[in-house]
Amino acid sequence: MTVPTAYEPMVRAEQVHKSYGLVEVLKGIDLQVQQGQVFCLVGPSGSGKSTFLRCINHLEKINAGRLYVDGELVGYKEKGGKLHELPDREVALKRRDIGMVFQRFNLFPHKTALENITEAPIQVKGVSKADAREQAHALLARVGLADKAGNYPSQLSGGQQQRVAIARALAMEPKLMLFDEPTSALDPELVGDVLDVMRQLAEDGMTMIVVTHEMGFAREVGDALVFMDDGMVVESGHPREVLTNPQHERTRAFLSKVL
Amino acid sequence: MTIPQDDAPPPRGRPEEIRAVAVRHPGRWVAVAVIAVLAAMFAHLLFTSSVLHWDVVGQIFTYPTVITGLGRTILLTVLAMVIGIFGGILLAVMRLSGNPVLSGVSWIYIWVFRGTPVLVQLYVWNFLGALVPTIGIGIPFGPTFVSWNYNDLIGLFTAAVLALGLNEAAYFAEIVRAGIQSVDEGQSEAASSLGLNRGQTLRRIVLPQAMRVIIPPAGNETISMLKTTSLVSAIALEDLTRAGQDIASRTFYEIPALVAISLWYLLITSILSVGQFYIERYYSRGTNRVLPPTPWHKIRTNLFSVKRVGGTA
Repeated sequence: MTVPTAYEPMVRAEQVHKSYGLVEVLKGIDLQVQQGQVFCLVGPSGSGKSTFLRCINHLEKINAGRLYVDGELVGYKEKGGKLHELPDREVALKRRDIGMVFQRFNLFPHKTALENITEAPIQVKGVSKADAREQAHALLARVGLADKAGNYPSQLSGGQQQRVAIARALAMEPKLMLFDEPTSALDPELVGDVLDVMRQLAEDGMTMIVVTHEMGFAREVGDALVFMDDGMVVESGHPREVLTNPQHERTRAFLSKVL
Repeated sequence: MTIPQDDAPPPRGRPEEIRAVAVRHPGRWVAVAVIAVLAAMFAHLLFTSSVLHWDVVGQIFTYPTVITGLGRTILLTVLAMVIGIFGGILLAVMRLSGNPVLSGVSWIYIWVFRGTPVLVQLYVWNFLGALVPTIGIGIPFGPTFVSWNYNDLIGLFTAAVLALGLNEAAYFAEIVRAGIQSVDEGQSEAASSLGLNRGQTLRRIVLPQAMRVIIPPAGNETISMLKTTSLVSAIALEDLTRAGQDIASRTFYEIPALVAISLWYLLITSILSVGQFYIERYYSRGTNRVLPPTPWHKIRTNLFSVKRVGGTA
């Protein structure tokens, strides 16, 4: 049982299980992400951290357990003691509040940086074109790309594309941002720009869940850190403690390789 | 900007420009000679043959019945392709949907319409009146409120448009399906993570990117359709081919008639190819850093570079 808190946590996972066929990828994840926290998920590849992140906005369906975002079940509705699947339209409605940034950026290649950002506000929220463009210009300035509004993604470097992707997610004014290894596909010298934008976002009070291999970022910006291995939470705590004084053998083995 | 001059002293330490002798291609010169001889023989035949009658070709080319037939051929092509494209997109979306009823219906449609010859389908639409004499609105197996005679409702032209268009839809569905499946999964994920629903994701994100894959075969299909419409002469519809045949059987100028209508088909096909180039160019924006040059651009840059080489040589 979880201790009742004054605030409902932004994300609450209770015994979350996920399998692909016979392979169990998540074997009972319990965790809580508080409002305004920067929550880092680390661990070896294949440990299930990206899968868990994708479950949070229902890109993947969980097989057992409960997953809540801002107090509401993800992807289901509980009625009369039974779970009912949410229709496509309502799932889409909830995703508006959860921004996601992907490892491979996934910008829309046929749209300019500006159009990438204005697409969802115009189509989903019904914001007027002029307002959406104004907001997009402000967001591009915020991620340091004020002069790239008219460029197509193929004309931008990886780091610039990822910053546009962050601006695109922010345009929906989400209450939670998910980052799926946002710097793993970048050349080393481009990583810093993206991390700077994320650091700024954290300072502004955004709730962020970050799957990352950037231990420096986790230590400096993170409020909480979970080490996952083989579909389970091995160790959790404040990043500085876990990273400098790991309690478990598996955490120590992993950190000795990446630090 | 300054353009470096060849006569200016080279920067210090820069090695001499490479001016190598190009590789020789003797095989190419042999091929050119062989092709030139064959082309000369063909040209000789064209201008000296007694059955070609170029003056008659010219007359048939602009003969009123030929022009009327041409108009009908173009109209048939356009209408059949419109039905084919929209029907094809609908069938492809049904085929890819999670709904087993929709994807099953789509599968059966494609199976039937792709599995029987177009000519047979033309006959079927033409003679369907025998099986379904009247078409009406009412309660199935119950009373009918309004009804029409099939042959009044579906004339020759409508039967031809339906046959060609519905057949095309089956082929086009497969082209659209390939296009949709060629778009990276991450695109739909990004779109849905922003809150776009399935319809918006398909219309605004996936289909525009699929177009890049869809356009080349679609151009192929349109050109193919232009020529397939000649089959409608089998149900006595006066199209371009039929107009040419009629003149040939009246005047015995068979070869000139065939040449005249072939020239029309070639001309329309060429126009369609140019249109295809520009549509492809439009949908490639964003995927190439620089848009591919139009033929006009190419001519201009070639002229420019020739001038520059000439000036510095």
